[in-house]
Amino acid sequence: MERSVVITGIGAVTPVGTGREVFWQALLAGRSGFSPVQSFDTSKMSVHVGAEVRDFDPAEHVRSLDPQSMGRASQLAVAAGRLALDDAGLGQVALDPERAGVVMGTTSGEPLEVELYNDRYVAGEVDRIGSELVTRYPCHTIAAQLASEVGFMGANAMIPTACAAGNYAIAHALDLLRSGRADLMLAGGADSFSRITYTGFARLGAIAPEICRPFDQDRQGMIPGEGAAVLVLEPAERAVARGARIYAEVAGYGLSCDAHHMTAAHPEGDGPARAMEQALRTAGIAPEEVSYVSAHGTGTPTNDRLETLAVHRVFGAGARRVPVSSVKSMLGHTMGAASAIEAAVCALAAWSGKIPPTMNFREPDPECDLDVVPNEAREHPVEVAMNNAYAFGGNNASVLVRRWHP
Amino acid sequence: MTAGPKSRSRVVVTGLGVLSPLGDRVAALHDALMAGERAIAPVEAFDTEGLPCRLAAALGGFAPEPYLEGGNLRPLDRTGRLAAAAAGLALEDAGWTAELRDEQEVGLALGTMFGSVKTIAEFDRRALEAGPQYVKPFDFANSVINAAAGQAAIWHRLRGPNATIAGGTTAGLQALAYGRDLVATGRTPAVVAGGAEELCFESFLGFARAGALAANEEEAVPFHAERRGFLLGEGAALLVLEDESAARERGATVHAEILGAATAFDPSRGRDPDKTAATCARAVRAALSEAGGAGRAPLEIDCLSTSASGSPAVDRAEARGLAEALGERGAKLPVMAVKGSLGEALGASGALQTAALIEVLRRGEIPGIAGLDRPEPGLALAPSPASSNLSARHGELRAGLVTSVGLDGAVSALVVRSVIGRMGASG
Repeated sequence: MERSVVITGIGAVTPVGTGREVFWQALLAGRSGFSPVQSFDTSKMSVHVGAEVRDFDPAEHVRSLDPQSMGRASQLAVAAGRLALDDAGLGQVALDPERAGVVMGTTSGEPLEVELYNDRYVAGEVDRIGSELVTRYPCHTIAAQLASEVGFMGANAMIPTACAAGNYAIAHALDLLRSGRADLMLAGGADSFSRITYTGFARLGAIAPEICRPFDQDRQGMIPGEGAAVLVLEPAERAVARGARIYAEVAGYGLSCDAHHMTAAHPEGDGPARAMEQALRTAGIAPEEVSYVSAHGTGTPTNDRLETLAVHRVFGAGARRVPVSSVKSMLGHTMGAASAIEAAVCALAAWSGKIPPTMNFREPDPECDLDVVPNEAREHPVEVAMNNAYAFGGNNASVLVRRWHP
Repeated sequence: MTAGPKSRSRVVVTGLGVLSPLGDRVAALHDALMAGERAIAPVEAFDTEGLPCRLAAALGGFAPEPYLEGGNLRPLDRTGRLAAAAAGLALEDAGWTAELRDEQEVGLALGTMFGSVKTIAEFDRRALEAGPQYVKPFDFANSVINAAAGQAAIWHRLRGPNATIAGGTTAGLQALAYGRDLVATGRTPAVVAGGAEELCFESFLGFARAGALAANEEEAVPFHAERRGFLLGEGAALLVLEDESAARERGATVHAEILGAATAFDPSRGRDPDKTAATCARAVRAALSEAGGAGRAPLEIDCLSTSASGSPAVDRAEARGLAEALGERGAKLPVMAVKGSLGEALGASGALQTAALIEVLRRGEIPGIAGLDRPEPGLALAPSPASSNLSARHGELRAGLVTSVGLDGAVSALVVRSVIGRMGASG
């Protein structure tokens, strides 16, 4: 039999809080992570709100490396990784480091290093530019820093597939564990808040001026955020043997590409639907078995409409019955971290039987006629949760998480 | 319920697409390597005034039009053009026509270290200098690290999984391993996999400041006794990886079989050469163990395609790791080091090494290392200069090993088997 793979640890650093329990309770309470941007000057832009991680001190989490030796996304990732290992009860446990690995996703890697480079370049201070673009910027340093911090010597991969990256990373870790090439994987995603990302989305007109209202008739866009989430994945057999707390099983995944446009989604939601269908088919799960969908749900007029179309295509008559919520209504869009954070949400929903809400919802949109769990968390047994993520490049990734029955 | 046990299917290479400073066909690259050519020249693409190094191996005359016809090239930056052009060459070589790609979902796994740090930096500089309202949406679309993979997928309508794999200089080899897994597990019938990287001022300056590049007049030949560093390169190599039985069924020409792959990591991140060597040995053993999996005949490696680049410590550590994993026979194997001719093409390197090795297995002749007039004494391997007739000495080439030693702790290895005389006339 193919090995079952389960989630035994969750670490998250997000705009609504750090650590699994703080983060989860904040989401269930509908807390907002939005506030005026502090990281850089937005006075020349038409939008000013972001979802930054505040009061984050990497030194509280990073134990063996110097936090100043790495970029901000790496700091967020290493902190999330440490939190995840501690949450899994593996903080001090001996394990074979050669059988343990790391796969992380990101959209932009360490863009603050490019900004630093440019600040000096534009000021005519090329002589002050160091080796940072080689030593700190390349995105693989995120996975390398995390593995270095925790001493993992097995597989080490970085998958920068933009806003679907967290799901891609979890999917790859699942394959490495299933094929027996690793016994423990840290998988997740990380991105830092950056003027590059914010400027780009502002220029596309994609940023909401004040608040993110996914699936609402009056939704005006997404709000860029930052953060990291890391999951501990291990074979179920090993997790059971060591008496670990099991949040959920990773049941399968689907990946597809629109091959249509870099930043505009396919007009019929074709790629997203194919990713969902592939996930269900390869996991041997029927659409009616899905009890929760964590939407990509960015809050842009187009994304939410097309995502609704895709959910209809995949779930048919059941599309209006399955609860579909977007935690981006609270966290903003944390880019490459988003689908890793949302995979954690799916695992926690399956574990606790609670679904976090889509906040800020007022007016239903006939083109988004789904049960979006408006404004209040819901008690709801979750047998199978589907985590959807879509990205620049036409990338689509769906991960399925199943409730664990001991 | 969980799906039943799945046997991994065999994965073969049916298409090779190469854009290298020594040619845009793998046969031309092979001939140049056999002739001991090096593409190293003064950089023309940007100003190197005041930098200790002014040399690189560039794709000087690259223009996308001959490779990419009938579409709008404007949205693609240079990295996107390299990836799309090499993907086109690979798909054409494999016979994966537009009609076939419409019927089936072909995947893409692109290795890259930087994506385009040039595009990202230019986007940000425009916002700084002209104002945030004057940035170009096209440039923002290309500022994500997976832009080249997205652009190549759009160009060739590749609707399957679309992954970008980073990993510094191991990215190309890791992407091949990733693509192979997607095919082996039956997720997709074929994947275009490999790497692409452009030469640009931003990364050149970073490597120069890090002291990694050989200064002008300094030796940059892999394994050379006097080597002082590497020189940067650029290019793309993409391979079509395909399910073996499906490839046979559609009558495809099979170039080689991918038998095993692995990546290992050194938590000291390359700071300790002993650990780099040990990590290299672990990756090689794991890849060989996978290649020699159940039901397969014992595997004999006949040729090494190393990642040696001219870096004093890393070349030596790679040689030690290979010798440790391969034993006495392995230490005497013929050694390729294409970075001596092509430069360090970062995320493209592992794929370029693999494409060059596959051509070696097909042609039965092995290029030595260009410019290697004096190998480092006491090296754990026995590399030879380009002029030596390696092929006559070594006889039949059954399988080869590609290694990629990263600068940040990761080491990847990949085992490729020849299909000459193994898969019938088509092979």
